[in-house]
Amino acid sequence: MSELGSLQQAFGAAIASLDKAVESTPLFRGSPDAALERLAVYRGNVVGACTKALAGAYPIVAKIVGESFFEGLAREYLRRFPSASGDLNEFGASLAQFVAAFAHTRDLPYLPDVARMEWLAHRAYYARDTAAPNLARLAAVTERHYGALRFALAPACALLASSWPLARIWEVHQDDFEGEFSVDFEAGPERILIYRPQFRVLVGTLSVGSYRFLERCGAGATIGAALDAALIAEPGFDLGAGLAAWLGAGVIVDAEERA
Amino acid sequence: MRSVGVGLRAAHYEDFLARKRDVGWLEVHSENYFGAGGYDLHVLHRLRADYPISVHGVGLALGSAAAEARAHVAKLKRLVDSVEPELVSEHLCWGRVRGRHFNDLLPLPYTEEALALMVARVSQLQETLGRRILIENVSSYLEFRASAIPEGEFIAELARRSGCGVLLDVNNLYVNQLNHGGDALAAMSAIAPESVAEIHLAGHLVAPHCVVDTHGDRVAEPVWALYQAALERFGTVPTLIEWDTDIPPLEVLLEEAQRARALQAEACCV
Repeated sequence: MSELGSLQQAFGAAIASLDKAVESTPLFRGSPDAALERLAVYRGNVVGACTKALAGAYPIVAKIVGESFFEGLAREYLRRFPSASGDLNEFGASLAQFVAAFAHTRDLPYLPDVARMEWLAHRAYYARDTAAPNLARLAAVTERHYGALRFALAPACALLASSWPLARIWEVHQDDFEGEFSVDFEAGPERILIYRPQFRVLVGTLSVGSYRFLERCGAGATIGAALDAALIAEPGFDLGAGLAAWLGAGVIVDAEERA
Repeated sequence: MRSVGVGLRAAHYEDFLARKRDVGWLEVHSENYFGAGGYDLHVLHRLRADYPISVHGVGLALGSAAAEARAHVAKLKRLVDSVEPELVSEHLCWGRVRGRHFNDLLPLPYTEEALALMVARVSQLQETLGRRILIENVSSYLEFRASAIPEGEFIAELARRSGCGVLLDVNNLYVNQLNHGGDALAAMSAIAPESVAEIHLAGHLVAPHCVVDTHGDRVAEPVWALYQAALERFGTVPTLIEWDTDIPPLEVLLEEAQRARALQAEACCV
């Protein structure tokens, strides 16, 4: 390795871990004690920047566990899943996996799914904007070709199925929520849609049929195939009501006839 | 580009969208606008109609010995191509080893090897973006025994060999002077006047073991004095008021900008 490379490895290791700091002090001018104190400033900067980024991506997880606990959790997460990008908005992708195995949050069994939801919402926030769907084009399709149409979902959309009432957890943790702060954790399994009609990310619940329909559309299925799957899951699935809502909310952004 | 700008932060989006403010230009951190869409980009595209924009990267870590971060460069290029900023800048620092980013502006040893790497990386970036970029001097809390070239000379040589401009952070020079006992004026006098294309001003924090570059306070008086010296040497270059932690109301930044403007006016008429 180049001299510069070795120096950066040693400096980096000294920032990442206190144990490595002592052996790195000969690299620096001044006394070893002064170097250790100043390495601690860098260590604090790195941990601080990553904690802030993580709290930005996971505001609900941070509220649930509380600020000081979250700081400890972030420090441990950073140790296990170091940042790999110069763009801190990419930091934190594995938090759900991390909290699922984290002994200190075992009494919060819904936390991994909350983290999953928040990461999808975080990605949706930065996803590509999409124009309103071209309804005239859709209306021009002859009826017998409907079944062969395929819907494109907006890049800022995501689906998630959970055993926990995620949409309610999302709702009560919004800054502008004014209702009663209560969540019924016994409400049973739930399917949610994360979407972004304009710039604010929203979370809504989906019936099992709606979930299947959008999931199949997202996987590239024709409307006919997606409808079949939805009706099997939910015989009373109402395609018309779903389409009106999803076209209006920018969930379905395009339709095309493809073989 | 008009005289003094301020750093655009999300906390002030609404202030800027509500009405035109008396600032010459706005600078953003590139990485905050790396998304393919969403609100931040929307705001930036709205404001670029009213203000010249400077795109200032904090994540490329150009001086890292590890292989170049190609995905990061590609996102920067996408942003620069769509925003068409007046200025594009990054830092004289490193920040990555293989598989790990420290997300901080870590100081380089001032050696021939580090200089050659920076020259190659800056040249490559300028070629990719199809334009000249500016490189900013960073604050540091540690100095390397291996450093053999004074900071000012290192920056001057980087500019000379790569053709890049210099973004002179006057606060960083002052922080380094306090932390390492160097001489900020000597560093400035090593840099060719025509190479400085932007100046940064920010506040710092005097902590027990060193002075920390927090960007969380008003510009300190000795830094204003250094700024006057910088204006004398480098002329009235575009100057930025930066504030990143404990962000105050926009009016406080505008007051700082006003003071910088007054010093510019004084310097140009002497």
